[in-house]
Amino acid sequence: MNIKITYNFLLDYLETDATAYELQKFLSLCGPSIETVEPVYDRNNKIEDYVLDIEITSNRIDMASVFGIAQEAAAILPQFGKKARLKQIPSKIYSFKTLKAEPLPNIKLNVEIKDAELCQRFTAMGFEIDSVGQTPELISRRLKLCDISSINTVVDISNYIMISLGQPTHMFDLDKIAGKKLILRKSVAGEKMTTLDGKSFTLPGEDIVIEDGDGKIIDMCGIMGAENSAINNDTTKILFFVQTYNKTYIRKTSMKTGQRSVAATYFEKGLDPNNVETAFAYGVELLNQHLSPSACTELIDIYPHKVKNEVISITKRQIDNIIGIPIEKEKIGKILEDLGFIVKSSDIKLDDHLFHVTVPTSRINDVSIKEDIIEEVARIYGYHNLPNNLPPMTFIRQPKELDLLLNTVSRVKSFLKHIGLNEFLQYSMISGNLLKSLDIDINNCLKIANSISTEIEYMRPSLLPSMILALEKNEGKKDHLNFFEVAKVYLTNKNSLPDEEFRLSLGSTESIFKVKGVIEALLKDLAISNFEFKAKNNNPLFSTHQQAEILINGQSVGEIGKLAQKYINNREIKKDLFVAEIDIWKLAQKASSVLPFAPISPYATVKRDITMKLKNKSFNDFEKTCFKLSKYLNKIDYLGSFENNITIRLYFTSHEENISETLVSNEVEKILKKDN
Amino acid sequence: MKSADNMLLNLKNDLLNTTNFVQLGEVEVRYLGRNGQVNDLMKKLKDLSVIERSEQGKKLNQLKANVETLINEKRKELTHKEDFEKKIDITLPGVKIPKGSLHLVSYAIEEIEKIFKKLGFIRMSYPEVEWEYFSFEALNMPSNHPARDDFETFFIDSPKDKNFGRMVLTPHTSSGQIREMLRVKEPPIRMINIGKTYRPNWDASHVPMFHQFEGLCIDENINITHLKGTIDFFAKEFFGSDREIRLRPFHFQFTEPSFEVDITCDICKGQGMVGDKKCRLCKQGWLELGGTGMVHPNVLKSGGIDSQRYTGWAFGFGVERVMMMKPGIGVSNMRVLYDSDIRINEQF
Repeated sequence: MNIKITYNFLLDYLETDATAYELQKFLSLCGPSIETVEPVYDRNNKIEDYVLDIEITSNRIDMASVFGIAQEAAAILPQFGKKARLKQIPSKIYSFKTLKAEPLPNIKLNVEIKDAELCQRFTAMGFEIDSVGQTPELISRRLKLCDISSINTVVDISNYIMISLGQPTHMFDLDKIAGKKLILRKSVAGEKMTTLDGKSFTLPGEDIVIEDGDGKIIDMCGIMGAENSAINNDTTKILFFVQTYNKTYIRKTSMKTGQRSVAATYFEKGLDPNNVETAFAYGVELLNQHLSPSACTELIDIYPHKVKNEVISITKRQIDNIIGIPIEKEKIGKILEDLGFIVKSSDIKLDDHLFHVTVPTSRINDVSIKEDIIEEVARIYGYHNLPNNLPPMTFIRQPKELDLLLNTVSRVKSFLKHIGLNEFLQYSMISGNLLKSLDIDINNCLKIANSISTEIEYMRPSLLPSMILALEKNEGKKDHLNFFEVAKVYLTNKNSLPDEEFRLSLGSTESIFKVKGVIEALLKDLAISNFEFKAKNNNPLFSTHQQAEILINGQSVGEIGKLAQKYINNREIKKDLFVAEIDIWKLAQKASSVLPFAPISPYATVKRDITMKLKNKSFNDFEKTCFKLSKYLNKIDYLGSFENNITIRLYFTSHEENISETLVSNEVEKILKKDN
Repeated sequence: MKSADNMLLNLKNDLLNTTNFVQLGEVEVRYLGRNGQVNDLMKKLKDLSVIERSEQGKKLNQLKANVETLINEKRKELTHKEDFEKKIDITLPGVKIPKGSLHLVSYAIEEIEKIFKKLGFIRMSYPEVEWEYFSFEALNMPSNHPARDDFETFFIDSPKDKNFGRMVLTPHTSSGQIREMLRVKEPPIRMINIGKTYRPNWDASHVPMFHQFEGLCIDENINITHLKGTIDFFAKEFFGSDREIRLRPFHFQFTEPSFEVDITCDICKGQGMVGDKKCRLCKQGWLELGGTGMVHPNVLKSGGIDSQRYTGWAFGFGVERVMMMKPGIGVSNMRVLYDSDIRINEQF
């Protein structure tokens, strides 16, 4: 959360020679981050004040007030050579003891707390006033600068206390609480109330509420009071109300109802019950100053379990070990005391020192272990004052399989890029519609329970749907599209985490042979030689006669195919799409860096180009036959096809002698004869 | 020596019709080759008397020298033509070689991995679909803890596990910390976990999936200065040696102390001002890099590491974020990276 305070407001509590901008610079380095400093101009266009916008981390709600920031500043600024001293410590000035003796109360308040767990401390007191009054200029102006609108003196004082001391308070119109009864309890789901901003709620249940004894709810505790008991211009009796609540309940109610009031952002983080008394007494002081009220009830203060200070023991060595350099023991003590800790210390061994650090109750939610104390010392000492060191070198072995897998991913990506393909990275989540349009069973996919869009509802079980989508989306943007993606797919397991498998997908608008060529080149680059594309027809995603299994050493590593016409039609795609998907881990296991060296024959190679018909044989089978038939045949190049003819180039050679033209002619004859 | 005179005439004629080195080679063979015309005459010398032989021999040598001169002159001429006279428009485009591309995130991941490798950090990869326990409880964030708000999370529609809770899409790479501790069992640990992370946030400037890299260093005597030194090393390697970092106090449940890391702005060089105007990119000269801190003892405990003996630090930064902060990249909106538009992707 962020709070806004002003520089002059801060000077009520802090004496310093630091400017607003210096505050920003130094506090941001060691404590709260002051995100912006905005000058405020008076009528003569002179700067009269500055508004500081400050980020408060969720553990430091104690700091979300003018006094909280002053205390940080008092500890931090001297580290930068700036003077800083707290002018006043509210808890030492304001307490119930300071309340003036009032006329005898004439109204009896009846307070009942049904469940002690809900509210650590409950204070309330009624006052009679002449009118809600006109807020003094100083208060209303400061509130406005802090982004809070000024309403009337009573409400404004309530807000002013919150900004000053970090404790939200509430003011009821006491006359509107008919039986003068306040029952603090958990709500029952379905109870209804309207908060004073006019919003109506049906309560989710288990919310902390106050009921007036007639079943009428007058407060959504810690969040906002009800409209039915709100202060207005006719109010003459007010009930001043300061509490701390169980933060978990406040948070749940605020989140479930969506009523994210400023008060809720304080209460849900857990406030210090001891600050209730300070805030209350300070509030009465302000009321006295501006409205001269007279008390009409007794002071109610229900605080059964007093919060106790925690003591943490830590040695200088433990502090030094984490910070990385030795910090003088005097400095440690001073830093902690400036922050409101009480420090008792003693030398233990010759070179060590023990600190017993008493944590102020305002910090007990945040400071509970040694490391918390170390953080306080380190940040005020200044992280910028610490040197940069590299951790000591040590050898860690990366698991071999992962090393191989990641290395292969990197080789694959780099190779495909360098032969002209474009990499895409797409969301792991895809839409049910996309899956359905390709007849992929959504029941085999992990489904996101709380997705924010139907576009991203299922974890992809294959990279092909998104590849098809990517090709589709880019249709017409270039003559030819040749894409690839390397990513995980998610394969469901019963009652355990899914298998996450790295896959490579390829997609092209050119031809199946383009994709096949890419794969062949890739396999060769990975030094895989024994591969084969085996025709098949069992994947309905692809056209029956345009699909193949990719085999390495006889083991399937993936498949390739032309997207079946049905899906081209379904998805209204203009061009044919050709895709492939390969399991990277299987590829990695077969890959090596280079193929074994094959010596070059010292004898001449004789080439013959022939054009022929293959009849019913596949090229693959034909090739195998050729090599079986001729021991001189060294290589076959496929040169092209025309109608039913293919043209190939045959390379003949021998490692023992120069072969004659006649011999080659005989070999070619054998091949042609066999095939015909 | 009429035949000699004729030969020179013929040669001159042949050379006139010679326009390239292949033809010149043929001419050379024809006249000066083993069976060339000059050699043919030489062979006849043996039929002559001694006196005639010596006289004719001299003449033939002269002829041979003349032939060589003529051919060499022609060679010079052709060489000159080839090197000094043949004109082309060198500004015409070269033969088009297809240029592929990688996704910007791929480049970033590779670079990050390399930088940390130099420091002896190994790259790991951990589940993206993870148990709630590893994403939160083990990281010192019990259920209902407000800190969980910072990590709004996608849940998987599947039954709860009685020990590990629900399945989630990892909202951060920090679950990898616990996984690595459990894998290694006994420090030292030097890990960089790079992976996909997910948050239910999709609008003009947010994407529901992005990448993070998580550094984890656990050993005896690891302290804040090691964290500072490592991040400083990374920042200088990745962004440039003129960049500085700073730590600011912050709060995370899984680290104590916790920091936010800032790096000096590239535009204003850390000054916060460009000329007399406020820098538009940064806050007072600093840009936020990400969150970091000393590993919380409770997190060490969840990972089965003795927190009395070992300490460590961890950080988690956004991959896209650091890449976009790199000087000169010019991508200011993460969505662009996931639009899957070839006109964008092919630029990298």
